[in-house]
Amino acid sequence: MSVPNYLLPDAAEHAIIQDTMKKITVDKIEDGMILGREICGASGNVLVSKGAPLSAALGRRLQNWGITTLYIEGEEDSLAEENAVSISPEKLREDLMYKFSNVINNPIMKQLFTTVYQYRLNKNV
Amino acid sequence: MGKKTDIIETLENINSIPTLPTMIERITRLLLNPTTSAEEVGKVITTDQALATKVLRLVNSAFYGFPGKISTITHAIVILGFSTIKNVVLTTSIFDAFHKRGDETEDFDLEQFWRHSIACGAAAQAIAKYLGSNDKEECFIAGLLHDLGKLIVCQYLPDEFSMVLTNARLKEKLFFESEKELFDVTHQEVGAFLTQRWNLPQNLQNAVLFHHTPDPSREHFLMTASVHCADIFVRALDIGNGGDNKIPMMSEQVWRSLGFENNSLIPLFDSIRDEVEKATIFLQLT
Repeated sequence: MSVPNYLLPDAAEHAIIQDTMKKITVDKIEDGMILGREICGASGNVLVSKGAPLSAALGRRLQNWGITTLYIEGEEDSLAEENAVSISPEKLREDLMYKFSNVINNPIMKQLFTTVYQYRLNKNV
Repeated sequence: MGKKTDIIETLENINSIPTLPTMIERITRLLLNPTTSAEEVGKVITTDQALATKVLRLVNSAFYGFPGKISTITHAIVILGFSTIKNVVLTTSIFDAFHKRGDETEDFDLEQFWRHSIACGAAAQAIAKYLGSNDKEECFIAGLLHDLGKLIVCQYLPDEFSMVLTNARLKEKLFFESEKELFDVTHQEVGAFLTQRWNLPQNLQNAVLFHHTPDPSREHFLMTASVHCADIFVRALDIGNGGDNKIPMMSEQVWRSLGFENNSLIPLFDSIRDEVEKATIFLQLT
């Protein structure tokens, strides 16, 4: 960050703080992660405060409360890289081929197949 | 259990088919009126405490970024906007009407089914937006409801439903092809039967009935086409599962009339995934 934080207006600072959080699903919680944003219950009551250390046990409790995603502290990109399981191009092609097998001879579907394959490979989804 | 006529007769004789919650009608009527205020909508929502809680949970969820700070329904409505409120009311009401009696079978994953339905709604909405349509919200509803017939068959004719699933899997067919082969009646027809019974608008009825066979000469083609494409895109992007793992054939007329190109599909897929993430929060609320 080239501009020191104290030179930025509050709103901009807030945006920066938000940028250093990452949304994960409850089942991805690992011991030692820090909660980046408080978790609230149905009535708006705080269940877990921001900054609280997370654990797999807490994750199971959150699941019981019906909470499926949360924000943890950390850089979105670096964490995403660390945690991302890259899709294997062969496996993706195989899965898509199964889905498309009855329609792949149609030119539109063939084109759609290629676009979807490239898209999912690039976005890792 | 025999063929088409027997199945339709069975459905017509079911007295316990879910009724459309009155809340949907009240909210829909209110939101159609341009002079309706957030307070008025708030009053109606507050009469249903379960729904009010869901709206508050949604607005206080991490997704909207105001956790724990919104405590009144009126404030929630102002933040979420009328169209989101309508989607929440509709999704949760329909979900409740069916899910409460949800008989999950081993070979049919209801959660994946709802994920597919909600994703279709979100995708149909994204497609409508892309096309500059005024029917965005209704497209969400049409997508959400398009496979309703499957739920009805699953609940009231579980043996037939199971046969259709197994047959689709063994023969690597689409669900509706399997239905057609075994019973000559499809979930599109069963779903349309229900939307008719619920007196839903004709465009929604058509979208449910023709989502696998869209035809430009029929009325409300754009909505039907949005749902048709949404179903295909959502399957291709592997979001949820409606009971089979195959992709239906894209109607050439739909493809041509919507004017998709490879370049326009990428941003569309992005916005579908964004909308799906937003809409999936509804699923977590139920």
